[in-house]
Amino acid sequence: MSEKEANEKAIKTSKKQENGDEKADLISKAAAKLEGEFKEHSVAEFFKKNKQMLGLYGKVRTLTMVIHEYVSNSIDACEETGILPNVDVKIDELGDEYYEVTVSDNGPGISKENVGKAFGKLLAGTKFHRLKQSRGQQGIGCAGCTMLSQMTTGKPSKVITGQQGKKPISLELTIDPSVNEPKMTDVKELEKDFRGTAVQAKFKGVLYRDSDQGPLEYLRRTAIANPHTQISFRDPMGQKFVFKRTQNTLPELPEEIKPHPKGVTVDDILSMGKRSSGRSVSSFLSNEFDRMGSKGLEEVKKRVDFDMGKDPKQISWDESEQLIKAFKAVDFIAPTTDALRPIGEKQIQISLQSIVKPEFLTVMTRKPTIYAGGYPFQVEIAISYGGGSGRKTGDETKMEIMRFANRVPLLFDQGNCALTRAVQTVDWKRYDIKDPENAPVTVFINFISVHIPYTGAGKQAIADEEEVMEEVRLALMQTGRKAGVYIAHRRREAENQQKRLMFYKYIPEICRALSSITKSNEGKLKESMEKMVLAKLKLEEAKDEQQRKQTEKTLADDDNSFVIEPKNEKKKEEHKKVKK
Amino acid sequence: MSEKGRRESKTAEKVSPKEIADRIKKTAESMVTQIGKQLDPEFITMQRGKSNVVWDEKKGYLELGEKEIKRTFLNVAHARKFMQTTIVMNKTREYLEHNKTASIREIYYELKHTVEDTKENTFEGQAESDPIIVDLEHSVDTIREKLNLHANPKGTLYGDVTLLDRMHHNDKFNASKLGRGGWSIMSRVEPEEIEIVDSNAEYLLVCETEAIFERLIEEGYPKKNKCILIGTGGQAARGARRLIHRVHNELDLPTIVFTDGDPYGWYIYSVIKQGSMALAAHSEFMSVPDAKYVGMTLEDIKEYKLEAVTERMTDGDVKRAKEMLAYPWFQNKEWQDELKKAIDIKLRIEQQALANKKLDFVATDYLPEKIRNKQFLP
Repeated sequence: MSEKEANEKAIKTSKKQENGDEKADLISKAAAKLEGEFKEHSVAEFFKKNKQMLGLYGKVRTLTMVIHEYVSNSIDACEETGILPNVDVKIDELGDEYYEVTVSDNGPGISKENVGKAFGKLLAGTKFHRLKQSRGQQGIGCAGCTMLSQMTTGKPSKVITGQQGKKPISLELTIDPSVNEPKMTDVKELEKDFRGTAVQAKFKGVLYRDSDQGPLEYLRRTAIANPHTQISFRDPMGQKFVFKRTQNTLPELPEEIKPHPKGVTVDDILSMGKRSSGRSVSSFLSNEFDRMGSKGLEEVKKRVDFDMGKDPKQISWDESEQLIKAFKAVDFIAPTTDALRPIGEKQIQISLQSIVKPEFLTVMTRKPTIYAGGYPFQVEIAISYGGGSGRKTGDETKMEIMRFANRVPLLFDQGNCALTRAVQTVDWKRYDIKDPENAPVTVFINFISVHIPYTGAGKQAIADEEEVMEEVRLALMQTGRKAGVYIAHRRREAENQQKRLMFYKYIPEICRALSSITKSNEGKLKESMEKMVLAKLKLEEAKDEQQRKQTEKTLADDDNSFVIEPKNEKKKEEHKKVKK
Repeated sequence: MSEKGRRESKTAEKVSPKEIADRIKKTAESMVTQIGKQLDPEFITMQRGKSNVVWDEKKGYLELGEKEIKRTFLNVAHARKFMQTTIVMNKTREYLEHNKTASIREIYYELKHTVEDTKENTFEGQAESDPIIVDLEHSVDTIREKLNLHANPKGTLYGDVTLLDRMHHNDKFNASKLGRGGWSIMSRVEPEEIEIVDSNAEYLLVCETEAIFERLIEEGYPKKNKCILIGTGGQAARGARRLIHRVHNELDLPTIVFTDGDPYGWYIYSVIKQGSMALAAHSEFMSVPDAKYVGMTLEDIKEYKLEAVTERMTDGDVKRAKEMLAYPWFQNKEWQDELKKAIDIKLRIEQQALANKKLDFVATDYLPEKIRNKQFLP
């Protein structure tokens, strides 16, 4: 999207927010004024002044966001060219709150012509306004990182990139904020074999933490949701982590879909109309909207008072509002849902087994459905118990909620997120999780949609859409039921163990007293009593096992729960940890 | 009925320590045999508490019913108590074999230790060991005293009665010659230890408060009125109850009880007369069904013009009075009237309120008058 378009969008958004019932001339005056102001700044300058709005606040958060931008860029590039991604991340501490980030991949590489655009021009991406399941929807992008780096350190970012059959190049890159244009310096051809892209940039005012919101956790979760990706990471202390690839095929690429009439705003129609090649509003609507048949179009026509034969580029705000009103009144077939690409139950299972190493795991990918009338979405849930499940803080283990939007981990704004709330509103006690806050449980939720309803520009929380809440809750309850059966069984097992210990501890006292009274052999008595305890508990275990099998039988429909052998129990941090 | 037979043997007074030790041994042997056969070892005792206490109208006291409870080792709720039972069995057998006696607090301390490899004690408090002792008493058909155990002593005896302490140089003494303090009633007053030799008294007066006990001695009441005086200091302890029972029966003296005029005082009378829920099994040994109640009564308030020195009953008192109204042994007109009146006027009257007339009024007027005129409640 061009700078002009971006400005227009910004103006229209502010219009929407500010006016409501205001008169049209007032609006246009305000718009003209705003437009004037915007013209004085480039997008890059706007970014420079408002980086908080883009989620770049908080020292730890900013560093994690930088890693996110580079890594999702790498994975996207690989997927789009059919390469199984290998991403290598290094963070070095250069000084106080001063770090150098290096991310390299085995992707297709970027041509000399495009490298500046990719790393040095804000909002240059193609993802901005399309309806497709994708990682970043309006992210700051790699250029945003370049900008941030030069703003905080005054230093350029270094890029090495190589394409198949071409010599790799290395260069240094900055952005001229007044015109939002990349400036490449020190461009060199390298005499070696390299395919992929490596970027290295320095950042000040950021902080590395091995916390729930730090880069390591971000990468761990990225690996879980992207089992076809291999990620290695070296933290500032020199510790190395490898999250191995568990899926050797690339996921099918999501398809771009046309927007559904129920899923657009007044503003969307205006900008779509501007770009449309249709000659009339009618052809624009029938060609560029999902489920817009002739019957639907007739119905819409009846409800608007302007000529549908006019040029779609000329649609006014008022006319667009009329269209939206008409879309709401008319019944359309629900949108197509086959554009969504879930991770899949089997893959989530393998992935969580490999990285979380739980004792028990149950996974469910729900069928796609619709929210707000016009957006297809799909939910994938996994509940894991025991082993490395849960969030370990000191000696305690707390429930861990791993949220993902289109496979991207959401680490921040947990409290504002509909996914978190859905988890909190489930009555876990019914599934034998007595104290859900403090249970060794990991809840995995991947929310997939062509349009993620984020609550803010930070893109870390999903809005409270009614259908989304319902769907997530339903999936949680179904998986929860299966987890409950297993947990109840484990609890009984633990109880049995405790019972044995309890009986055993009293045996010496009893035998001493009884043998003292009766002069019988104390050792023999003890042996006999222990044998008796074991026999009793064995009987109870057998009964319990029988009961469990019965319950499991009743839950056996689409069974996708797995019990992992206890020998796999290990802390998550121990995963492939190698000292440098 | 064999069950009944067993019960009667329980209350037989002439059981030797050897016999009791043998019963404990038999119980232990049966446990060992069960364990040998891989059977869950059992300990059987009598169920206590309201659900297994019956009122025997003919005998005039509370009796334990015939419900048994079985304590087994392989039961999560019983295992700890089972362990405690066996160690108490072993310790009391030891006492009996070595002719030692101990207070229930002493046996608690003697047995309290950390269970091997745990952070748990065999007993976490005396509240845990006391009920185990009662379980054992019932299980081997005896009373605590026969297990060579005793509770803390409470209660005082004064008056013209001669006792012989067989356990202490065969000391022979008259309880009116021990100074104003009288004789401290021991918690074990079994005939083989304390013998009641003789007495010139004409009745036994049991009073609730130590203050009135002392007042009556100071006024020379026992001598003037030819009575033996026992002060219980509140609810009568085991030893005091046993001694009241023995004085009443062995000296054939009428027993008159004098308490505060309130539900607490009336219940003290009730326990002396027909036994308590907790010791229902031992009522035959301890109760005095013929006892009479002299006061305080609510009638006394009017009779002796004590209106100014009454106290208000608390809600708890009223509730208690209502409960007592339903007790089968209070189903006579006199007590029904008294309790209903108490619930109605919500007033109580203490023994010491009589001092409002004159300090010695209780000794010179109140008691002699009421006893002479047989103004008793049954």
